[in-house]
Amino acid sequence: MSKILIAEDEVLMLKALEFKLKKDGYQIDVAADGRQAMEKVKSNTYDLILTDIMMPFVGGMEILSYIKNDPVKKITPVILLSAVGLENIVLEGFALGAEDFVYKPFNLNELSVRIKRYIKQNVF
Amino acid sequence: MREFFYFFETFFNNAIFYYAISVMTSYVILIFLSAIEMNAYMKKNSYVNYREILVSPLVPSVSILAPAYNEEATIIENIRSLLSLHYNNYEVIIINDGSKDNTFQRMFDYYQLEKVNFAVDYQIKCHEIRGVYKSKLPSFSKLTVVDKLNGGKSDALNAGINVSGKELILCIDVDCIVQEDALLKLAKPYLEEKYQVIASGGVVRIANSCKVEDGKLVEVNMPKNIWPRFQVLEYIRAFLMGRMAWSRLNGLLIISGAMGLFVKDIVIKVGGYDDKTVGEDMELVVRMRRYMYEQDRRFKVVYIPDPLCWTEAPADLKILGRQRNRWTRGTIETLWMHKDLFFNPRYGVLGLLSYPYWFFFEWLAPVIEFLGITIFIALAIMGNINWEFSLILISMVYFFSIALSTIAILFEEMSYQQYTKGGDLVKLLLVAFLEPIFYHPFTIYWAMRGNIDKFLGRKAWGNMTRKGFKEEKNKEGTTPHTVT
Amino acid sequence: MSFFNPAFTYIREIFTERLPYFPANIRACLFIILFCVVAIVELYIYIALRRINQYKKKSQEKKWKAHIHNMLANLVIYDESDDTDEIIEHFFPRLQKLPLHIPIVKKILITEILTYHKNFIGKPAELLSLLYVKLHLDQRSREKVKNKNWEVKIEGIREANEMEVGEMADDIIKYTDDENALLRMEAQAAYIKLSPKDPFRFLDRAQERILDWHQLVLFEIITKDKKLQIPSFSKWLRSSNDTVVMLCLKLIDHFMQFDAAEEVERLLKHHNTKIVKKAIEIIGKLELESAEKHMFEVYFDQPLEIKTEILNAIGRISSGRYSDFLSSRIYSDNYKIKREALYAIKRSADLGEAKLREIYRQTSLENQAIINHVLDSRIKS
Repeated sequence: MSKILIAEDEVLMLKALEFKLKKDGYQIDVAADGRQAMEKVKSNTYDLILTDIMMPFVGGMEILSYIKNDPVKKITPVILLSAVGLENIVLEGFALGAEDFVYKPFNLNELSVRIKRYIKQNVF
Repeated sequence: MREFFYFFETFFNNAIFYYAISVMTSYVILIFLSAIEMNAYMKKNSYVNYREILVSPLVPSVSILAPAYNEEATIIENIRSLLSLHYNNYEVIIINDGSKDNTFQRMFDYYQLEKVNFAVDYQIKCHEIRGVYKSKLPSFSKLTVVDKLNGGKSDALNAGINVSGKELILCIDVDCIVQEDALLKLAKPYLEEKYQVIASGGVVRIANSCKVEDGKLVEVNMPKNIWPRFQVLEYIRAFLMGRMAWSRLNGLLIISGAMGLFVKDIVIKVGGYDDKTVGEDMELVVRMRRYMYEQDRRFKVVYIPDPLCWTEAPADLKILGRQRNRWTRGTIETLWMHKDLFFNPRYGVLGLLSYPYWFFFEWLAPVIEFLGITIFIALAIMGNINWEFSLILISMVYFFSIALSTIAILFEEMSYQQYTKGGDLVKLLLVAFLEPIFYHPFTIYWAMRGNIDKFLGRKAWGNMTRKGFKEEKNKEGTTPHTVT
Repeated sequence: MSFFNPAFTYIREIFTERLPYFPANIRACLFIILFCVVAIVELYIYIALRRINQYKKKSQEKKWKAHIHNMLANLVIYDESDDTDEIIEHFFPRLQKLPLHIPIVKKILITEILTYHKNFIGKPAELLSLLYVKLHLDQRSREKVKNKNWEVKIEGIREANEMEVGEMADDIIKYTDDENALLRMEAQAAYIKLSPKDPFRFLDRAQERILDWHQLVLFEIITKDKKLQIPSFSKWLRSSNDTVVMLCLKLIDHFMQFDAAEEVERLLKHHNTKIVKKAIEIIGKLELESAEKHMFEVYFDQPLEIKTEILNAIGRISSGRYSDFLSSRIYSDNYKIKREALYAIKRSADLGEAKLREIYRQTSLENQAIINHVLDSRIKS
C-alpha cells in the first residue's frame, strides 16, 4: 500500500484530505504544522508528499527543498498546496522541483486523480 | 531650627505627594486611552484576512534594512529567517558595517554572493560603501548585501537607505526574531489610514528562555532568570499600555530601534538617522514629526500591538545597566536637540503633549525620585522624619504600581495572551510585587548614571562609532522607555 | 497568627479611629491605597475567572469541533458520480441532531461549512450549499444582515457572500456606502458576488472613500472570480471620488483595457498626483503612443515622482520620437532622473543597450557608473 504524508495546518482541510485519500486506499500520515512535517519527512520514506506552502514554523517550500536535495528521497513526488496562486511562488515551487501545484479552492476528486497518477509513475 | 525642619518636612511630603498624584493621574489617563485604542484595534482586525495582503500585487514595496556588526555566529540563520517572511514585495538588505570577524565571508560563501555594478546615490551622508553584492542563486534573489566601512548603527542604516529601491524601509536589529507576518501587519496601516502614515512600529517582546528553532519562535516561555523576567513585565506595560495610549493620541515619540517601518522618501528628506546620538531611533521619529508639522501635512505614526519581534534581553545586571544608561542619554540628547519644541503650539500634539510628557515623566522622573530618596535619607539621618507619614506615602506609590502592572497583565491576557501556561501567569503577577522593590531602584540608579555621564560630558558614545554598535549595544537595541 | 495580629490591628486603626486626624494629603494617600488594594484583588479574581472560563470554553469547543469536523470531512469526500439526494438524505438528519441551540455549536458549524466551501469546488461545495439552506442557516445570515450591530451585520454579509445566499443584493447595496469603513468594504465585496447582473453598481453611488486596503481586497476578488462579467472600467474614470478612479485604474491596468486609452490620457490633468502617476504607468504599459506628446508637454512642470514615471512610460512606448529627449536627461543633476532615463533607453526598442554603450563612451564618470548599474541585469530596478 502506498504511503502518503499530508502536511497542512488547517485542521479541517487536513481531515478532509486524510479521509479522502484513505477512501482512495492509501496509507496516510499527517502533520499539523511544518515542524512536525519536517521531522516525519526526515525519519520516514513516503511515496508522495502533499504539503501546504504556508504553515507555521516551517513552510512547504523548505520541506520541498529538503526532499529535493536529499539523494535518496528526491524521487518522492511532492505536490504543493496553497491559497496563493501567485506566479512567482508557483515558479519558485517548480524551480525547486515540485511535481505539481494545486491551489485553493480546488476539486478534491481532481486531486485524487493526480495523486493516483504520480504514485503509479513512481512504482517502476 | 526645629521649626524649619518641620516646615521643610511638610513641604517635602507635600511635594512628593503632588508629584506622585500627577504621575499617577497621567498613568490613569494612559490606561483609559490604551484600553480604548486596544479595543478598537482588536475589533477592527478580527475581521481581517491577512492572506489577501499576502498575495496582492498592490501592497507597498518594502526594503528590510539590517545592519550587521560581528555577527558571524548567527548571520546565516538570521538572513534565512528574514528571507522567509510572508510578504509579496520585499527585499532584504544586510549592511555589513565593517565587521572585524568573518561575518562578510560567511555570507559571501553561503549565499554565493557576487559584486554588482551598483551606482549608489548618496542621498543621505554615510561612510563609503565598498561594494554591493547579490546572490548568484535565484532562490536568494531578494537578498542584497552592502559592504561598507564601519560607522555605527545609524550610519549603516543610512547606507542601506541609499541602496534601497523600495517605498518603505523596515529597520531592524539583525539578531531579533521577526514573526513571519510582521511585514503584513506593519504595512497594513499604510493602506488604511486617512492621513499619510509616516512610520509604524511593533511591539518588542522578550525571547529569553523561549524555544527558537531555525530562527523561528516555536514556544513562548517566561524567562528563567529574574532580570529578564522583570523586563517582561516592564515591556508589557510599556508597549501594551504606554505606546498604545500614545498611538491613540497620535503622539508616539518612539519607534523601537529593533523594528520600525518608515516611508523612505520622508526619511531621506529629513536626512536619515543621526549618528551623533545614541537615541537615534527616537530622534528620527521626532525629526520626521517635526518635518511633517513644518510642511503642514496631516500625518500619523502608528503602532501595532501584535507581538511581531522578539529579542534577547540582557540577563546580566551590568549589561542591562549599560543599556539603560544609553537610553537615558539618548532621551536627553533627543530632548536637547529639539528643545524648541517644548510647549510650542506650532507642533501640535508633539510640542504640547508628547515632548513635555517625555521631559517631565521620562527624563525628570528618575531624577526627582532620586532627589526624593536622597532628601529622605538625609532627613532620616537627622532624625527629622515622620516615619508613619512617609511609609504611607511610599505604600501608596507601591500599591499603585502593582495595580498598574496588574492592569497591564490583564491587557496582555485579553489581547495576545502569550504566556499560556498557568504557572507563567502566576510568576508574572508575582513579579509585579517584587518589581517596585527589587528592580525599580536599579532603573533609577542607571538613569542617574546616564544623566551624570551625559552632563559630565563622558561621551561614551564617542568611541562607539569606532567600536561599532555591537559592543556597546550588546543586545540592547530595543528601546521601550518604560511606564512607571 | 500572633505575629500578624498587631500589624492587623495597626492597619485597622489607621483606617478607622485615626483616619480623621491625619493631614489631608495622608488621608488621600490612605484612600488611594485602599482603592488600589481592592482593585488588585478584583483584578486577580477577574483574571482567574477569565482563565477558568476560557478553559471550559476550550474544552467544550474541542469536543464539538472534533465531532463536526468528522462529520463534514465525511461529507466532502464524495465523487461527482454519487447521488446528491442520497448523500443529503444521509447527512441532514445527523446534522439536525446537533444541539444548534447552543451558540458555540452553531458557530463552529457555520465557520467550518464556510471554510470547506471556500477551499473546495465541485461536488463538496454543492453539497454544503444545499445543506446550508436545508438547515435554515441562510435565514439566519439574512437576519444578521438586518441586525443593528455592525459587527453582526458584517458576519451576516460574510456568510451570505461565501455561501452565495440569493436575493440579498438589494439588502446589501445600502451598506456599500456606509460610514463605517469595515462594513462598507464587506458590503462591496459581497455585492460584487451576489449581484451577477450589475456587480459594479455600487461604484456609481460611492461617496465614501474606498481605502487602499479595501481596493486591494476588491482587486483580489474582481481579478480572481472567473465567473464575473468584467465591464469597461473607463466608465468610472470621471467619478468625483478619487478612490473610485484609482481602483478602476488598477483594474484597467490588470485587464489591459485598451478602450480606456482616451479617458486615461485625460487623467494627466487630474489634480491628484497619485492618479496622474498611475495613469502614466498605464499609458506606458499599454504603449499608448498617442499620449506621448501630451506627457512630454506636461513633463517640465511635474514633481520628481511624475517625471520619472513619464520617462519610464516613454521608454516603454519607444516610438523613437523622444529618443533625444531621453538621452538629454543624463545632463540632469538628479540621480533618479538620470537613472530612470537610462533605464528607459535600455528598455526602448529603437535605442536599447547599444545606445547606452554609445553614451557611455562620451559621458562623465558618474554617468558611466549609472550606466553600468542600469546594464547590470542582476540588479532589479
